[in-house]
Amino acid sequence: MRALIMNGAHAGDAEIDAAAAFLRRELEAVGIAAESLCLRDHRLAYCRGCFNCWVHTPGVCRTRDAGRDIARDWIRSDLVVLLTPVTFGGYSSELKKALDRVICLVSPFFVRIGGEVHHRPRYARYPGLFAIGWQDAGDEEEARTFHTLVARNALNMHAPVHGSRVLCRGGDPATGMRELAGSLPIGNWRAA
Amino acid sequence: MIQRMIQRRAVLLVGSSRPRGTSTSGELGRYLLGRLEPAGFRGSTFLANHLLDDAAIAAFLAAVDAAEIFIISTPLYVDSLPWLVTRTLERLAAHRRAAGAHDGCRCLAIVNCGFPESHHTRTALDICRIFARQAHMEWAGGLGLGGGEAIGGRSLEAAGSMARNVRRALDLTAAAIDAEEPVLEEAVRLMAKRLVPVWLYMLIAEFGWRLRARRNGVLDQLWARPYAVEAGDVSLASAPPGPPDPLH
Repeated sequence: MRALIMNGAHAGDAEIDAAAAFLRRELEAVGIAAESLCLRDHRLAYCRGCFNCWVHTPGVCRTRDAGRDIARDWIRSDLVVLLTPVTFGGYSSELKKALDRVICLVSPFFVRIGGEVHHRPRYARYPGLFAIGWQDAGDEEEARTFHTLVARNALNMHAPVHGSRVLCRGGDPATGMRELAGSLPIGNWRAA
Repeated sequence: MIQRMIQRRAVLLVGSSRPRGTSTSGELGRYLLGRLEPAGFRGSTFLANHLLDDAAIAAFLAAVDAAEIFIISTPLYVDSLPWLVTRTLERLAAHRRAAGAHDGCRCLAIVNCGFPESHHTRTALDICRIFARQAHMEWAGGLGLGGGEAIGGRSLEAAGSMARNVRRALDLTAAAIDAEEPVLEEAVRLMAKRLVPVWLYMLIAEFGWRLRARRNGVLDQLWARPYAVEAGDVSLASAPPGPPDPLH
């Protein structure tokens, strides 16, 4: 089993950095090989929307940088975990830059899913997608948008399972860590 | 009255990194700014991919500070705003919060996507609305356009009758901005109308992908799986099945 943790925290965000380390330990404790990427530490170009990853070098971004490694690690994982400050209901710019680079994992061609048009899967299998977002203060509209976004991403990235959690900053660290562990389907894999 | 007209300013942020003349987002914004001119607005356009250094972002922030309306026109990337826009809005919200800005700047968003259905843009429009609230702006409304590739970066005038509902939606929106009113439901409805039937859009788009791949000599590689691993190397097959969303 493999898990990819994508840490979209901005510099100085000790709470999310600590959560990334905690999750990695939890996953490894149940025999899941977990890789944790602190995205701000990687030089990553932004997606230019050129679609060359579909029609020039199919399946691979033409930009040679860590974005290629992220796409490769994503599709080779069983589980992708996104960690991010909730940003207007979405992801941080650190995380979004990486996410924009994984469209090479789907096909440009279309398929109807649930009556709406999406891109066809390029690969036979895709990882489950989980996201945990941190809010400075409770904001119900922001949390609702975050959950919707993760569900939409799961649909478009063909994730067989998905889930999302929004945590408030500054809470009791022990409780927060328990919530984090409870956010992931670790139990499923432990039993499997 | 003359004084007020001279002072009316609109700032357009274009989220696409495609060159001018090939960006649907740019053309949607350009058309709207053009319709605002007769109402006395002076428009300033900022391309998000030109806001990567501190001097450029400072000029952008100053322009928004002086604006009556801030317009975001952007493509949809992975169900939300592109990195370029996300980063710019992070900077703008932080700037306005730090400055304690509570002036009358309003925010409007236009999001276009490559899927034929406009409702794929809803989450991105929600994100823009929450941005406006957190940046202490008044939300004027959001317009979602599906099938943006059908316009393909052409001017809306050049897109002819196919774009008539888009033009009408933006005409109504310009009038609403001028009157300092929210975007009309009629404008939202017109913008959301399909440019072409879904089946035709899919047919043309898929033909286009094949044509581009053929020109690049990779037609036979369109379904390449460069990151696939040998069966058994990765234990994807053994991942347990589960409910679609075990948390909610």
